[in-house]
Amino acid sequence: MPESDTIGIALKMHGVSKRYQGTLAVDRVDFEAYAGEVHVLMGENGAGKSTLMKILAGSFNDYIGSIVIGQKEVLLHSPAKARECGVGMIYQELSVARPISIAENLLVGRLPYRYGFWLDKKAMYRQSQQLLHKVGLDIDPWKTIGEISQHEAQLVEIARILGVNPCILVMDEPTSALSRREVQCLFARMRQLKNRGITILYISHHLPEVFEIADRITIMRDGRIVATKSIHEVTPPMLVQMMVGKTLEKPVVSPTRKIGEPVLKVKHLTRNGFFSNVSFHACKGEILGIAGLTGAGRTDIARSLCGLAPYDRGTVELEGQRLRRQSYSDAIKHGLMYLSEDRKIDGLFLRLSIKQNLISATLQRNTHCGLYTANHEAQITSDLIEKLGIVASSVSQEVSNLSGGNQQKVLLGKWIAADPRVLILDEPTRGVDVKARVTIHRVVRDLVEEGRTVLLISSDLPELVGLSDRVIVLHNGRLAGEMNKTQLSEESVLLAMNGEVV
Amino acid sequence: MIPAKKNHSAFVRTDLLDRVGIYLVGAVLVVIGDFVSDEFLTVTNLLSVLNAVALLGIVATGMAFVTYSGNMADLSMPSIMAFSGIICVSALPLGFTVALTAGILAGLLIGAMNGFIVGRFNANPILWTLAVTFFMEGFMRFAWSNNQVYPDIEPGTAGFKLIGLFRMSIGSVPLVVVVMVLLFIAGHFVIVHTRFGIESKLVGSSKPAARTTGIDVSRVILLDFLVAAFCASIAGIFLTSMNKLGVFYLGKGYDFKAVTAVVIGGMTLRGGRGTMPGVLGGVLVIGLLTNIMTFMGIGAFEQNIVTGGVFIAVVGLHQRQLCRRGKDYA
Repeated sequence: MPESDTIGIALKMHGVSKRYQGTLAVDRVDFEAYAGEVHVLMGENGAGKSTLMKILAGSFNDYIGSIVIGQKEVLLHSPAKARECGVGMIYQELSVARPISIAENLLVGRLPYRYGFWLDKKAMYRQSQQLLHKVGLDIDPWKTIGEISQHEAQLVEIARILGVNPCILVMDEPTSALSRREVQCLFARMRQLKNRGITILYISHHLPEVFEIADRITIMRDGRIVATKSIHEVTPPMLVQMMVGKTLEKPVVSPTRKIGEPVLKVKHLTRNGFFSNVSFHACKGEILGIAGLTGAGRTDIARSLCGLAPYDRGTVELEGQRLRRQSYSDAIKHGLMYLSEDRKIDGLFLRLSIKQNLISATLQRNTHCGLYTANHEAQITSDLIEKLGIVASSVSQEVSNLSGGNQQKVLLGKWIAADPRVLILDEPTRGVDVKARVTIHRVVRDLVEEGRTVLLISSDLPELVGLSDRVIVLHNGRLAGEMNKTQLSEESVLLAMNGEVV
Repeated sequence: MIPAKKNHSAFVRTDLLDRVGIYLVGAVLVVIGDFVSDEFLTVTNLLSVLNAVALLGIVATGMAFVTYSGNMADLSMPSIMAFSGIICVSALPLGFTVALTAGILAGLLIGAMNGFIVGRFNANPILWTLAVTFFMEGFMRFAWSNNQVYPDIEPGTAGFKLIGLFRMSIGSVPLVVVVMVLLFIAGHFVIVHTRFGIESKLVGSSKPAARTTGIDVSRVILLDFLVAAFCASIAGIFLTSMNKLGVFYLGKGYDFKAVTAVVIGGMTLRGGRGTMPGVLGGVLVIGLLTNIMTFMGIGAFEQNIVTGGVFIAVVGLHQRQLCRRGKDYA
């Protein structure tokens, strides 16, 4: 690393601050990045890393402090200005338009014209192929984004940014929607870009990924930079400690629980076009992990199981009783519940209060002859808030104002309040900070301790392997393997997920 | 952590100002009315205000359920009113009770169709009910050859009873006012204390989230439209009784006035917010406003301008408030 070589410094931020109503999101930050390095930014939710990167992308016109890109001091007061200065930003959610072609997406804003009126399709084809080549994609630029995979769409997005020749590329959790293999491809491209002298600033929550790709790493907490280190100087526990600000207790490996008789039996479940002939069972007091790549059918199976989606063949039995097909209320009545994947879209009532959310799933149980009785509402709510450590100013605070971690805790609390026998958790810690993650894991362990059953769907392998007693693996909508605690490792799950024989 | 008030369901808690705000407006109007005319603050006049808003109140009670469950408005309520009225008059030869039942069932039929289509197939409620209104008007004109239907008004006949319905009083309080108050009380009870009421709130707050909470969203929306249709039929029968005839255009204008009452009463068009007492307040404010304008000698067209203006102002203010708080998500 060219420690003293000033020419190697691609970006220098000095005393940069940004205030949102009342709170300092970024507080007098000094930050440097070299040309040709992958620089990872880490921190809990709300630590200020996304805000810092948004400043760089020109999202704010009221930040304080100086920014030097290359040798020039610049004022990044608009996205256009930032682009001009060579900053390219890739957001967490893709910003490519699905129904139009790759070529149009790539060249948006600078489409080639003939005689100033006719689109020059040949030039479009040529230029977009050049751009796609830069990210190593060999696909037809006339395909629409809807026809290609998530990871290819991500690469198209990168290619589009590369089209404006950035010297700094900012990526905000680009891998959260990608499967393992796709992440590997993305990393390979990132290394190529790095070797071409481009600086990559990379925001991530994912420790293994960070150690794989980072050259240097900066940890933020409460709007300030805690430390910038070379990747060789740090270990995962050190990083976590710096992010959280105190020593994190080791996750308690619970003594082997007593696992009871099978509670949930799924036989030959098939939904045409989604998954076929899936059979498994889950026992009392067990955490059953469900692994698979994106698109392997994990969420589809979960939704069909609990009746939110139909299935074509097969049976679902809960404690010997067959559940009705496509009736979620029947499943809930029997105690089978589903914590949905995306808390903002179909998990929480964002405009309602914490309390209303927490008791929303108890409605069915507390109704007699159509009348709802509000018994123990206050008790249940305060118990859950304490148990889950939900941080809020009051129980009537709107859920939309909470941080991601607290929202996820409210969602989990909502189902705990409904007293499930079998709870399906779909990505219970996605986009959640380290502390909330630890709390959620503890609460999930408590649930099975009480004799409940948990089905855990997670793309986060350490989580899946660490929590589960047994894991079933799906590949292309079929069961591809089953592993018990002794066989369980990240490597074995990974192999099975990719369709290799275990 | 601030604990919520005990024994009071979290589902019905609202800000104090939201709850009494509309009644403050009403109080101001009463003071203004007192200045405008000496006759304003008399029992006779206030009863006539109540009498004048009673039909609107009945329609607004039903409309509130549709708005509350996030379906904005049922614009077919006027055609339900007209249809119930015509069917009721046409069925009079079969007896008074049969006629009333037939009128209400006819209204419920349209409500069931609305609720089914909107709930099951996710149709846009505004466009769907607008289309139903258009269809029903054509249908009624076709089936009754563009004619008005008159009940038999000989004393002792069923028609005579129907005409008497609107003019009946319990003590000195008109029956229609009693019905309005009873419907409001029932509506309030349903929203606060029944599973259906709370599920309507959850559906109104977020349909996808309600679905993953195990609520049968289609069924809840169907019921909401049925409640709206039920209230519209009752209002339609009263209106027919008042006019002594049934015809396709009875009930025109009640749709928009009812939405105005619901919205200024604090039920936002995005659903899941507001209370029944608030809606009653909205109805009373509209009644007082109309009454005062009549005392001031302002004509019917100008009154429409004022009512429309109030609606625009309230919705505009509300939207602004939401934008300020950065909550412009749907």
